[in-house]
Amino acid sequence: MKTLSLRNLQKTYFDPYAGSQVTAVHDVSLDVEQGEFVSVVGPSGCGKTTILNMVAGFIPYSGGEILLDGAAVKGPGPDRGVVFQSFALFPWKTVLENVGFGPKMRGVPKADRDRIAREYLELAGLSHAADRYPNELSGGMQQRVGVVRALANNPAVLLMDEPFASVDAQTRMTLQEELTRIWQERKPTVIFITHDVAEAVFLANRVVVLSKGRVLDQIKVDLPRPRVWDHLMQDETFKRLSAQVLQMVRSA
Amino acid sequence: MSIVLKLWSLYVRGTNRWPVIATIVPFIPVVALWSIAANSGMFPRAFFPAPADVARTFVALTYKGILPDYLQDSLIRLLTGATIGVVLGIPLGLLIGSSKWAHRVCWPVLLFFQAIGDIAWLPILLIWFGFGLTTMTFVIVYTVLFPIVLNTVLGVESVHRDLARAAQSLGASRMRVLWEVTLPGALPNIITGLRNGLGYGWRALIAVEIIVGTSGIGFMMFDARRAGSTVEIILGMIVLGTLWYIVDAWILAPIERATGRRWGLVTS
Repeated sequence: MKTLSLRNLQKTYFDPYAGSQVTAVHDVSLDVEQGEFVSVVGPSGCGKTTILNMVAGFIPYSGGEILLDGAAVKGPGPDRGVVFQSFALFPWKTVLENVGFGPKMRGVPKADRDRIAREYLELAGLSHAADRYPNELSGGMQQRVGVVRALANNPAVLLMDEPFASVDAQTRMTLQEELTRIWQERKPTVIFITHDVAEAVFLANRVVVLSKGRVLDQIKVDLPRPRVWDHLMQDETFKRLSAQVLQMVRSA
Repeated sequence: MSIVLKLWSLYVRGTNRWPVIATIVPFIPVVALWSIAANSGMFPRAFFPAPADVARTFVALTYKGILPDYLQDSLIRLLTGATIGVVLGIPLGLLIGSSKWAHRVCWPVLLFFQAIGDIAWLPILLIWFGFGLTTMTFVIVYTVLFPIVLNTVLGVESVHRDLARAAQSLGASRMRVLWEVTLPGALPNIITGLRNGLGYGWRALIAVEIIVGTSGIGFMMFDARRAGSTVEIILGMIVLGTLWYIVDAWILAPIERATGRRWGLVTS
C-alpha cells in the first residue's frame, strides 16, 4: 500500500538577480510504500533537499502533485515528521519537553505526553538525559533527540534531511545502526536524503538516485537486517550495491 | 608576605559568601580619594563637600521623608513608562521581525524617529502637553521603546528558520510558533533591549525632571542648584548610580543568566 506519491513534481524559482527562472526539480515521480525506507542520493544541486522541503510543505511546488494517503499536501503538518541536519531542537526546552512537543500541540495532557516522551527517549537510550537542555548534549545525542521527537508524533512519513552529516564519523555509524534498529522496531515510512552513498545503501530498502532534478535510477536493497557495519563492510552484496550506486552518482 | 596572602584568602572567601563585598570594595579607594581631596582644603567646603557631608544630608533628607518620596516618584514614572514601552515594543518588534513587508515599511521610519533623541522632543511636547506627567511619560516611553523594538527585531531574525519549521511539522499553528519558538528565541535579545531601554529611560527621566519636574531625583538635584547646595546635588548623583546598579545587577542580570546563558543562546 503506497503512502506517499510524488507525481511529475516540479519546482522553478525566479532568481531576481539573474532575472530568470531557475529549475531545481524538473520532473520527479516517486511512490513510497507504507513502512518502506527510501534513501535519496545525488550530488549537491540535484534537488534532493528541495524535494524534501516540498514534501514537508516548507516551500510550495510549481507543478505536479504530492499525495499523502491520497490527499494533496499543502503546507507543513504533523503527518510528516522532519529530522533536520541542524537538529533544530528548541534550546529553551528540556529534552523531555522537546520530545513531548508534538503531543503537546495535539493537546495531549502533560502527564500523558511526558509518558510518551519517556517511552521514546528509552527507545533511543536517552532516558538519563530527559531533564537536560539540548546545549548540554553532544551532537550525536542531540540528533537522537531530533529523531525520536519526530517519531513521538507518530507521523505517516518521516522525512530526514542529511540528519547525520554534522556529526563525527564514529558517531555517525552508531546513529545509522540505531536508526536501522528503531526502523525495524517501529517500521515508520522514511525518506532519507543524503549525499553519502554507503549511508544510503546501509539504511534503505530502496535507493533513489537523483540527477539534475530528475530520478536517474532506483535500486532495491535486499540486505538482511539487523544491519551492522562490522558485518556489512565485508559483505559482497553491500559492496556491489554501493559501487553500483556510487557509479551512478558520479556519472550523474 | 603571608599576611597579604591571608588577607587575599579572607577576601576571596568573604566575597564568595557575601558577593556584595565584591561590589563595595572597589569603591573604597574612590571614596578615600574624594575624602582626601575634600579635606585637603584645596576647594571651599560649600563648593566641594566631603563624603561625610553627603552622608549626613542623606540621613537628614531620608529622615524628613523628602528623599524617599522623590525616589518613589522617579521610580513610578520610570516603571510606568517602561511598562508602556514593553507592551508596545515587544509586539511591534515581533511583527517587524517576522514579516518581511512590515520590516520594509517600518524599518526606515523607525530609524528616523530613533535618531530624534528623546530630549529633542521636549520643546514640542511642552507646547502640546505642558509641564506635566504626560510629557514625562511620553519621553520615557519614547526612550524605552526603540531599544526594545530594535532588539526584539534582531532577536526574531536570529531564530534559526529550522526551529519554526520543526515546530510547524510537529503540528504547531502560526500562533503557537510565535509563542513557543519566536518569543523564547528572541528573549535574550528582548532582555538586552529592556536593559538598554531602562538605562536610557532612567537618564531621560532625570533630564526631564530637571526641566519639567515638580518632584523626583532630577528635580531635587536641580532645585539644590538653585539653593547652591552641592551636597544635595552629589547625593542625587550617588543615588542615581546606586539605584541603577541595583536594578541591573539584582534584577536584569539574573534574568539574563536564567534564560539565554542557560539555553546556550548567549555564550560568555
